[in-house]
Amino acid sequence: MKKYVEIAKIYIKSQLVWRADVAFQVLFTVTKILFAYLLWGIIFKDRTEVAGFTFQSMLSYYIISSFLSQLDMSDGISSEVSQRIRNGTFSKYMVIPVNIQKYFMAMEAGVVAYYGVFQFIAAFVWVFIFRIKFALSHDPLIILCAFLLILLGLLFMLQLNYYLGLLALKYQEIGTFLMIKNNLVAFITGSIVPLVLLPQGIISVMKLFPFYYITYLPSMLLIGRMGEEAVPGLVIIFLWCVMLQALIIVTWGYYRRKFDGVGI
Amino acid sequence: MNIIETNKLTKRFRRYKKQVGIAGSIKGLIKRDYEEITSVNELDLKIKEGEFVGLIGPNGAGKTTLVKMLTGIIAPTSGEISVFGYYPNDLKNGFKQQYAVVMGQKSQLFFDLTVEDTLRLFKEIYGIPEAEYETAKNFFIELFHVKELMNVQVRTMSLGERMKMELIVALLHNPKILFLDEPTIGLDSIASKQIRGFLKEINETRGTTIILTSHYMEDIKTLCRRSIVINHGSKIYDGDTDQLFERYQIHKKITLTFDIPMELPKLTPGIFVISETPYKKVLKVTKEKTSELLGQLMKYGPSDISVEEEEIGTIVERIYGEGRGSLEEVR
Repeated sequence: MKKYVEIAKIYIKSQLVWRADVAFQVLFTVTKILFAYLLWGIIFKDRTEVAGFTFQSMLSYYIISSFLSQLDMSDGISSEVSQRIRNGTFSKYMVIPVNIQKYFMAMEAGVVAYYGVFQFIAAFVWVFIFRIKFALSHDPLIILCAFLLILLGLLFMLQLNYYLGLLALKYQEIGTFLMIKNNLVAFITGSIVPLVLLPQGIISVMKLFPFYYITYLPSMLLIGRMGEEAVPGLVIIFLWCVMLQALIIVTWGYYRRKFDGVGI
Repeated sequence: MNIIETNKLTKRFRRYKKQVGIAGSIKGLIKRDYEEITSVNELDLKIKEGEFVGLIGPNGAGKTTLVKMLTGIIAPTSGEISVFGYYPNDLKNGFKQQYAVVMGQKSQLFFDLTVEDTLRLFKEIYGIPEAEYETAKNFFIELFHVKELMNVQVRTMSLGERMKMELIVALLHNPKILFLDEPTIGLDSIASKQIRGFLKEINETRGTTIILTSHYMEDIKTLCRRSIVINHGSKIYDGDTDQLFERYQIHKKITLTFDIPMELPKLTPGIFVISETPYKKVLKVTKEKTSELLGQLMKYGPSDISVEEEEIGTIVERIYGEGRGSLEEVR
């Protein structure tokens, strides 16, 4: 375990080198909140409620979901894994006594811990500046479920990106897979539009996918809505994590033997 | 005791043969032609603990592929392989604890951080106790004379400095085998000499088995008591390094530089001019005639003179030209 803590630490140290990167990340978070504030301000100008959301609860949703979607930084894993497989430097991870997937989990934890702090501060500051009456659930069980969903969601995204990266062992180029995933995630996570605004039939289909439980449901739970979906949500995302893990083990076990390690 | 054993070890790759041009690219979308390359071909190998073995061969001979199979990075197509009793491609942590690999163009260092940061990470990865870590670190700092570089960002280091650091990271956990793939590639002669000195010391004082691939004759001659020559994936020589060079190194290259234009007299048989300008002459001479020729050339007062060995590729070609069957040393 200690080795993975050290891996997380070294990635925190690596992030600390890039000051401008941090500043832009914070700026990005702030801009998104500002944009949402202006957009929803216009929409709520002539009405007090949209699809059951008040202006305050809509902003609360937006701040939380935006924070959560930015917390997931596992995108980099698929490109790191696939590029290194393609250029032959994936061996870097194969020759040291670590579990490679856990290495990437620790790496992600380090990066998330670092950026999460800055993004949390940025979101927190804007809540005060705009005097947003943050609509937060008062039920500790629901809050716990939301946090578990967030953790499982982060784990799932990490597994997914790691798995897609591993597909480079078979397909070399995985750009198409990544594009499909990115579009699907952006839509189904509800980070573009609250899913409640979509037709019920579409939402029912989305509930079968794990993405629904990554940003959208935890955000809704945290603002005190959809509590009845908390436990089923946990079960579904957990099952997805188990299935994906099995897929990773099988894929790695099989295609690792086909890895040519060609490149530099 | 043999710590590495292979039996008829073979690795084949499939390579896509793309036709040239846009039409060829479009055709490739529909139908693709592949060719099969045998990178390592039925190779038998036995290496004992504490040996310093040189793997020699031209580009594409199969040296690096062999190292990749021995370290578990790639799986063999067929044949048997055992390193410390492990099948390397199982990638067991118990196996990986026992070796280290340094590939000239692949780095374990974190370029934005200091070497100290990477060392601390590797301390935890290999589970090295604090006291042991400090002792090993200080030993290598002394050996490599790099105390002032420990807190410097890796990206700001020279190639030679970085290679020293790669070696420290690799050796920190005191591996039983060290695989080195072109460790002196791109280094100047001083840095290469230093690296060779360190490797010699590690092999002699710590008993670390070292498997070295290199294109540089000097690396092999200075360090490896045993050499294995590989060409087209097959072993064509396996034996004493001195004997290898004694037998197959026929010529030396002499380069003379003059401060004033110089015309050399007619050369005796066995001496060939490779290139010639008024100020610089490059000659090829048989090994036996080298000292005699040098004596004669000194009379012309060259401002600089250098004697170089033949390139490994030339020697390999010569060995290969003789035919494998005639080589007594192939094991």
